Amino acid sequence: MKLSRRRFLRNSALALGVPTVIPGSALGLNGAVAPSNRIVVGGIGLGPRGREVLKGFLSQSDVQFVMIADVQKTRREVIRVMVNRQYNNQDCAETRDMFEVLGRKDIDAVVIATGDRWHAVLSILAAKAGKDIYCEKPCSMTVRESQELADAVNRYGRVFQAGTQRRNVDNFQFAAGLARGGKLGRIHTVHAGILQLEESHNWLPAETEPGLDVCDWDRWLGPAPWRPYNKEYVNGRWRGYYDFHGGAALPEWGAHTVDLCQWGASADATTPVEYEAEGQTIHARYANGVKLVMRRAGFKGEGNWVAPGTCPVRFEGDEGWVEAADSGKVAVSNPKLLEGGTPAPMAGTDPSKHVRDFLDCVKSRAKPAANADVTRRGHIVSHVAAIGWRLGRKVNFDPVSETFRDDVEANRMCSRARRAPWHA
Amino acid sequence: MKNRFSFLCLLAVLAAGTGNSAPAVNREAEALAVLSNSAAELKDKARACQTLADFGGAKSIAALSALLADEKLGDYARSGLESMADPGAGAALRRALGKLSGRQIAGAINSLGVRRDTAAVSDLRKLALANSPDSAPAAVTALGLIGNADAAQSLQAVLENGPAELRLPAAHASIVAAEQLAKGGNAAAARKLLETSMKAVPSGPSAEAARRAVASLPKR
Repeated sequence: MKLSRRRFLRNSALALGVPTVIPGSALGLNGAVAPSNRIVVGGIGLGPRGREVLKGFLSQSDVQFVMIADVQKTRREVIRVMVNRQYNNQDCAETRDMFEVLGRKDIDAVVIATGDRWHAVLSILAAKAGKDIYCEKPCSMTVRESQELADAVNRYGRVFQAGTQRRNVDNFQFAAGLARGGKLGRIHTVHAGILQLEESHNWLPAETEPGLDVCDWDRWLGPAPWRPYNKEYVNGRWRGYYDFHGGAALPEWGAHTVDLCQWGASADATTPVEYEAEGQTIHARYANGVKLVMRRAGFKGEGNWVAPGTCPVRFEGDEGWVEAADSGKVAVSNPKLLEGGTPAPMAGTDPSKHVRDFLDCVKSRAKPAANADVTRRGHIVSHVAAIGWRLGRKVNFDPVSETFRDDVEANRMCSRARRAPWHA
Repeated sequence: MKNRFSFLCLLAVLAAGTGNSAPAVNREAEALAVLSNSAAELKDKARACQTLADFGGAKSIAALSALLADEKLGDYARSGLESMADPGAGAALRRALGKLSGRQIAGAINSLGVRRDTAAVSDLRKLALANSPDSAPAAVTALGLIGNADAAQSLQAVLENGPAELRLPAAHASIVAAEQLAKGGNAAAARKLLETSMKAVPSGPSAEAARRAVASLPKR
């Protein structure tokens, strides 16, 4: 990647017979990163959250963002202006068609921040196209998609980072460090804050589909089954609908908090084996006896949490506990746990270190913190828990075969048919 | 009035959905009643199909099959057949191949692939080699998912003699099929398929993935 661009620049200049005066920025002088050392990035479906993530990419000197694809013209234009302002030029390309981003040979990595229904399919298509992938969460709609995505990333040797970012946020790292490092004793229970579980099959009233130049509704739907257009969906109010929001909305925060609990419990290589819902709380148990409790949290401080902020987690051991949430703070059972120093305040939603981790791994080919394997299992936990909740009974899951034990009904819910032609 | 009231109750039960521990047989019957009601709204029929995707059995096959060609309900109906263990669901999807076109045939083919329907391999091979843009790419992908020895031979045929535009999808599908073959202990067939794939598409992500896959196979 790097050598061919450098050589191209030099050879082109020589071939044209022009004096080889090359701008300092092209050589990496004056603090600039030479183009040959930059990671070329394209974006697909960057809405409000996508723009926050994009800021994280644009702030990195070794990134060159070159193209945005979105089915909505207004969103493409917002990104184009944002990028062009950053680089002080007019070079950012825009397209309605995501395949143009995937087909560009100069693009090394893609940022995917569409709605959830597209995340796994697009990530797989990107892997097949030879791109590294930063994909917003939740990365899958079902157990099967969680598997397909990880398998594809590994098959094609791509670098994948789920946009969960909290494994690269200081207070969550601190909390996980206490748990994993034995400072809390033997971990017996981990708690993941989740939003209200819900699945609506309602359809909003049908509205006239706008022209393709405004919003390509067919492409917006993608793998989700057809329903009539309503602008509320495309304006961001698609959450809570079964067809657009997998796992009864559990992965909405569970993608973060369940993942953190997997980490805190040193359970990244497995999943719980039993799940039982009690109202809006789901009790799960790992094979080693550690409990995972997925329970209510919210934007207004719902639920019985100590650490302030969204996406709270709590790790309990027989010698202490710690809580962390998006406020950047931690709460501990004993001040002695803070004697080594408190974590620097950093918002849980801040993607900057997570993006940096991804970019470093694009260069080194190492696996980043929220890689495809870790994401596979964390997401499977959320989907399995939701299936148990939907069925209204206890379910047992085998983390090795990744299937429910002796449970035809639950296993059927591990997958959904995708609307053609969006197989991956 | 009584019939309409009963129908509205059925819709309410289906709409409640979550946390409903009613027996599957009841939920299937309720959903089938919605599908057979000509006055039912489109969204209620869609919901009924999704209920059958979770709980439908052999009794649902006919009703779901009848909707496969429907532009709006076809994918909902197909979801019921895709998830159903009963071999009749696979047979229904295979029968539909001769009647569907456009996205609907691509969807049915994809569902056969997800089901790993080995009985569909000969149909899929024909569809792949016939090279219709509606069905050939999906057929190739489905052969990859099925991934048995027959599917591998079909992919070989596409790679060696098939249309040029199918070589890349077939190369990707071959890697998936090779994984299945290797898991089943048939490393030799996996290797042969991967080597054919690399010959047909010698560079790019599929070739790199195939090389990695060959390297991971047991040594000859």
